[in-house]
Amino acid sequence: MNVILRELKAHWKGILFWSLGMIALIGSGMAKYDAYQSTGQSINQLMAQFPKSVQIILGISGFDLTTAAGFYGLLFIYIAIMAAIHATLIGSDMIAKEERDKTSEFLFSKPISRAKAITGKLLAGFVILVIFNLVTTLSSIYMVQYFNKGASANHDILLLMAGLAFLQLIFFSVGAAVAGINKHQKSSASIATSVLLLTFILYFVINLNDKLDFLKYLSPFKYFEAHAIITNGLDPFYMVLSLIITVVLIASTYFTYSRRDLSV
Amino acid sequence: MNIFWREIKAYRKSTIIWVLVLSAITIVFLLLYPGFTKDVEATRKMLSGIPAAYRNALGLSLDNFFTIFGFLGYLFTFVLLAGAAQAMSLGTGIISKEDSGKTSDFLLSKPVTRTKVLTSKLSAALVLLAATNIFFSLASYGVARVVSTANFSAKTFFLISATLFLVQLFFWALGALFAVIIPKIKSVISVTLPTVFAFFIVSTIGAFIGNDNVRLVTPFKFYDYQYIIAHNTYEWKYVIIEAVCIAVAIVASFIIYLKKDVRAAS
Repeated sequence: MNVILRELKAHWKGILFWSLGMIALIGSGMAKYDAYQSTGQSINQLMAQFPKSVQIILGISGFDLTTAAGFYGLLFIYIAIMAAIHATLIGSDMIAKEERDKTSEFLFSKPISRAKAITGKLLAGFVILVIFNLVTTLSSIYMVQYFNKGASANHDILLLMAGLAFLQLIFFSVGAAVAGINKHQKSSASIATSVLLLTFILYFVINLNDKLDFLKYLSPFKYFEAHAIITNGLDPFYMVLSLIITVVLIASTYFTYSRRDLSV
Repeated sequence: MNIFWREIKAYRKSTIIWVLVLSAITIVFLLLYPGFTKDVEATRKMLSGIPAAYRNALGLSLDNFFTIFGFLGYLFTFVLLAGAAQAMSLGTGIISKEDSGKTSDFLLSKPVTRTKVLTSKLSAALVLLAATNIFFSLASYGVARVVSTANFSAKTFFLISATLFLVQLFFWALGALFAVIIPKIKSVISVTLPTVFAFFIVSTIGAFIGNDNVRLVTPFKFYDYQYIIAHNTYEWKYVIIEAVCIAVAIVASFIIYLKKDVRAAS
């Protein structure tokens, strides 16, 4: 319990900045919708006839941008990448910080096992992810409603945010596992975020060429695509896959971190 | 000169990795170019049925957009993103590491002024970025030559690839400024990555609604590829805006760094 409270206290400033950032991102994004809406529907229909790869290069992809929900769907990938960056950094920071800041000797001279310390840290991280998701959900619902003139988009938003939660879990565990395995904690955050950047760019590469579709399992952003979620809901296969990835990575964090020599 | 070489050596390995990453991004995308040209034919046919005035309103110029340069302009979105992350991490890290590594008092007890410390560090970062760009440009030029079916102008190509360096310069200066302003940077990447992505998202959201004002706030949009392809030069207005931003950031970094209370390790 002490560990959880300690970590929450250490991260509260970060939570605050990230929350404000997300509110600003969603608010300014939806404000653009207001401007876009006035350009009219005909361009939108014309664009929809383009081949997929051309649409992607032009930065429009299959959403009905005249509705608030469609426009929000377009924003989703950027909300997702920010959430993923946040989750990765939290995950790696929680595990890496003791060694990086040379406080691991202090922490583990206390009557606490390594497994218990990790549990506390991961739980604190989980609480932070939940706060992040709640802030994002609430501000999304509010902002979309504010600019929306048609049917309510709340159902779509809640589904997307559920998808976001899975993404957060995956990248949180990626961050934790990298820091758990890595011995040089200065590089943990960079390695974990490189994995993230790689999957992010891979997402666009896959979209560009249909033949690369088999690579989609390598990029979690592909698991929870706004377009698919809005039309078909969440895919149970990907939800299970995400949970498996998360469990495996968290387990390997415990396994390696409990066994290895901590650098002091 | 000692500090300069010390930093070059310290960052040599990570710079090589960055060159490989940037080149890999370019190569992977360029390999998809032949497939993309097929879609282009279909689009071209479709677009030719639309009145030219309407096309222009959409901002689509048939000649420029669907050449290899048009494609290059797209893939550079990601090259610039990764390059910006490199430049800002370098600019921030090269300064903040003395603080986080608790080596500031060791460094500043040497007979060098703070001005010299900062000058050496920033110029080391600059040289590393320049080296990154030279190797990256040559590698991607080679691949572009191989995949492109038509001949293309080397000048336009290098004008486009040099935008990487220009964007990196902006983030190098911003990184330096952040390093002297933010107290206690424990993890460089958790400062730089959100910043870079914030600029990136502003630029992409601005791009698909065609808002020109957004170009003034985000370096990712300072250099418009359509313009470079059509006119074979940069829009000098934005070069000047960038130069002013960089000058302000660097001068401010020096002023703050010279006066600030550097934390001693204890």
